[in-house]
Amino acid sequence: MKKLLALIMVCMLLLAACSSGSSNGTESEKGSADANEITVWAWDPNFNIKALELAKEAYASENPDLKVNIIENAQDDIVQKLNTSLSSGTTKGLPNIVLIEDYRAKSFLQAYPDMFHPLTGSFETKDFVQYKVEATSVDGENYGLPFDTGATGLYVRTDYLAEAGYTVEDLQNIDWKEYIEIGKKVKEATGKRLLTYDPNDLGILRTMIQSAGKWYVKEDGTTIDLANNEALKLSFKIYKELVDNDLMNFHSDWNEFLATFNGGEVATVTTGNWITPSIKAEASQSGKWAVVPHPSLPGMESVNASNLGGASWYVLDVPGKENAVDFLTKTFGSNVDLYQKFVTEIGAIGTYIPAAEGEAYKTKDEFFGGQSIVSDFSKWAEEIPQVNYGMHTYAIEDILVVAMQNYLAGQDLDKVLKEAQQQAETQIK
Amino acid sequence: MHKIKRTFIYSILSIFAIISIFPFIWMIVSATNKSVDVTKGRLLPGTHLVENFQNLLNTVDLVPALVNSAIITMATTVLSLIIASLAGYGFEIYRSKAKDVVFTILLVSMMIPFAALMIPLFRMFGTISQIAPGIGIDTLTSAMLPSITTAFLIFFFRQNTKMFPRELLEAGRIDGLTELGVFFRIFVPTMKTTYAAAAIITFMASWNNYLWPLVVLQSPENHTIPLLISNLGSSSSPDFGIIMTTIVIATLPTALIFFLLQRHFVAGMMGSVK
Amino acid sequence: MLQAATKQTIQQKPRKSNNKLRIKNGLIGWSFITIATLMIGLFYFYPMAQALILSFQSGAGSNLQFVGFDNYIRLFTDPTFIAAVKNTVTYLIIQVPIMIILALLISVLLNDKKLKLKGFFRTAIFLPCITSLVAYSVVFKYLFGSDGIINQMLINFSLISEPIQWLTDPFWAKVTIIIAITWRWTGYNMIFYLSALQNVDNSIYEAAKIDGANAFQQFFKITIPMLKPIILFTSITSTIGTLQLFDEVMNITKGGPGNATLTISQYIYNLSFKYTPDFGYAATVSYAIVIMIVIFSIIQFKVAGDKNA
Repeated sequence: MKKLLALIMVCMLLLAACSSGSSNGTESEKGSADANEITVWAWDPNFNIKALELAKEAYASENPDLKVNIIENAQDDIVQKLNTSLSSGTTKGLPNIVLIEDYRAKSFLQAYPDMFHPLTGSFETKDFVQYKVEATSVDGENYGLPFDTGATGLYVRTDYLAEAGYTVEDLQNIDWKEYIEIGKKVKEATGKRLLTYDPNDLGILRTMIQSAGKWYVKEDGTTIDLANNEALKLSFKIYKELVDNDLMNFHSDWNEFLATFNGGEVATVTTGNWITPSIKAEASQSGKWAVVPHPSLPGMESVNASNLGGASWYVLDVPGKENAVDFLTKTFGSNVDLYQKFVTEIGAIGTYIPAAEGEAYKTKDEFFGGQSIVSDFSKWAEEIPQVNYGMHTYAIEDILVVAMQNYLAGQDLDKVLKEAQQQAETQIK
Repeated sequence: MHKIKRTFIYSILSIFAIISIFPFIWMIVSATNKSVDVTKGRLLPGTHLVENFQNLLNTVDLVPALVNSAIITMATTVLSLIIASLAGYGFEIYRSKAKDVVFTILLVSMMIPFAALMIPLFRMFGTISQIAPGIGIDTLTSAMLPSITTAFLIFFFRQNTKMFPRELLEAGRIDGLTELGVFFRIFVPTMKTTYAAAAIITFMASWNNYLWPLVVLQSPENHTIPLLISNLGSSSSPDFGIIMTTIVIATLPTALIFFLLQRHFVAGMMGSVK
Repeated sequence: MLQAATKQTIQQKPRKSNNKLRIKNGLIGWSFITIATLMIGLFYFYPMAQALILSFQSGAGSNLQFVGFDNYIRLFTDPTFIAAVKNTVTYLIIQVPIMIILALLISVLLNDKKLKLKGFFRTAIFLPCITSLVAYSVVFKYLFGSDGIINQMLINFSLISEPIQWLTDPFWAKVTIIIAITWRWTGYNMIFYLSALQNVDNSIYEAAKIDGANAFQQFFKITIPMLKPIILFTSITSTIGTLQLFDEVMNITKGGPGNATLTISQYIYNLSFKYTPDFGYAATVSYAIVIMIVIFSIIQFKVAGDKNA
């Protein structure tokens, strides 16, 4: 019996020890509500976190009193943590600044009104590329300070193109029809498919319709726009043509995606500029790549520029918000030199227009045959048409994935889009 | 005839063993390779283990996360085993209609997906934080409290108690042991293998617990191993060499616990106690 | 709480009077289960009640409004939910029996006293459930890719002429998920049987052998009936696990192609975190799972026979 009691005591002690041990953590937590400390949540250690560290450094040289805690979490984790905290109304443990993907921004801003601190007037919106400003605002009020661009490009294997008799010049400012024709020739010559995509991720459709200034919803951000969306219809047709001509390679996850182009399995990669480090990861392919403008939609008003992904900084309405705003506006909001460092040290391309004049943006990249890709991307970024992403991008897209499958299986395009429209309208209120 | 049967048994077990062990081997092999080779699915061991390990130590705080995970897991396992075995034993040995009703109700708690409980639970811990910050949000205790008592483990102990010979208990009572004495002196030592299985399962579940710790632990110094691994994969250009090295390190404790405890699965254990 | 329970028992002395003992034992019985009941009440039933209230509300994020039974009505007209239920029930009906039988078979083989390398076999077969999901899903996709090892082997043995689209064809993707869950959880269920087998008295087998029972007869006449409580336990917990299936699908197919492998739990995740959150409707879907599990569990308790199981 004594042994038993001893055992129970040990357990109690253990529990007590844990709780007292971690209550130290709680004290530092309380400290973050302190006047001289702010906390930032972001994902991607090689990209956003490094950018934050550079910003912290730059800010500290002039404002040494503010302590900036940078906390790294995976993006999905941040979404879960934010949703749980905000919906339970418990602000404890929330950060002062959080990075949110542009496609999700309006969902957060409108699902949790009053939880985000407006930034209107605290930075110059005209200094940022317009599509980013639109993505971070609700009802004319700015909530987000724009960060990186997801400006897309067409990464091409010049050696494969050469085998089919093409040069990089032949791919400048082409549309999807021309791209498919080139793809057929390249496949004949090299046996390599044109591009690779995850059938569950319709990012490629997003880039196509945004290049025509369209989205899954109309400009108001709420009216579902699928059945009568000409750009979307054309994009569906192009997608099917890519599949029918066996130009599309399917991968099922990120890992396989990287392996496909690192292993030289495809002739091109069409996606956001943030893929650059992953392309360069295969050092043996140096000099074999180039980047050309994103294809446009043929036969309609569409530009050779689009966007995929990208995120911006948001300030939560919790104590310390003034410091948070000050930190953001003095770094990401106005510091041209900082943006040069983003380019040279992490390859991150911002959306702050004055920064594009800097030296770092013009650097030639030997991996891409001496092309100044950063300067090219930021030039394209300014051309990206602005659209209202609305609140339901991912919900609608899951409906479209099924619609696409039915379409590829031979169903009528108008019919599948009409059904998708109906399902989206009943699901999203 | 006997020989054929033997060979048959060994070949079946070997096939299962090879199929089972393959991903584990691949995981270890990948820890010795560069990221690019991991994504290509290279099956041969490489030379980058030390480099991966050094990169790992440079990029993340591995040791604090290991310590946090160890504290949470050990405390959860010990407390779970005590609480659940007491309850499972209580429900079966002192069976009554009323207790059966309580038991059935408890079982329902296993049936709801945890995602549905997360927000109310978080709100509850928000309130707890104001009263007792020591066990509120962002403490190791808060990460383990909801998983200490599970209907799953109570159910497991109850079902095993059903197979327990009652005569042993009576013998203990006649020897003058108290009810709790009977439990600790007779039931616990006899059911060693059940405790071993329960310990393995609880250890594993707690060590890998992800969703609730993710939500409730905010500061990096409180992070556990699964949260650390999740962060490593958050990049658009993740280093799979580092990730695989971390995963191997993260898997070793559970593998070790299993290997140590599986020795208790020896046929005829009960007979020897009798 | 635990200390209080202990105190009570310490004070209790063995008594001869049967009636008093019964009352006393009743109290002791309750004290054994108090801590567990309170903990589960606090950390499960209180949030469950909150979730139930939530299931009658709907709206984006914190803009929740009371909608009565609208969410429950919506379930029946929601094609995504219906697809998820169909997939999940398919997994359940096919996968759980296969896995339980495999696990039983393996644990009986491993329980052989004369078997060598027991520790190795046990550990090897248990390994899949502790292998990290990240590593496991990478390996899985690598094996089951369209030019993966499995297809290459099947083609080499001339079993198929065209590679099977294990991950991108709606039918084969379901098969892949079923293989994946079975692979991962068979060893886990084996643990429960192995530990339970140790509690089966060896002399029963000895007696059966003397009576001339062969291995099959021993298995069906002794092992299965003796393990009935544990078989029931693993069937119910596996049913729960499968109806709440999330990890494998999320990591291997993300529910695709289309919604071909989507599970109910993944739909809850999507409603809560992937889309603009509607926690009200997500709670309704969660309760739909609860109702399904309750029905399946009642069936299993009934099939297992008497209330004593």
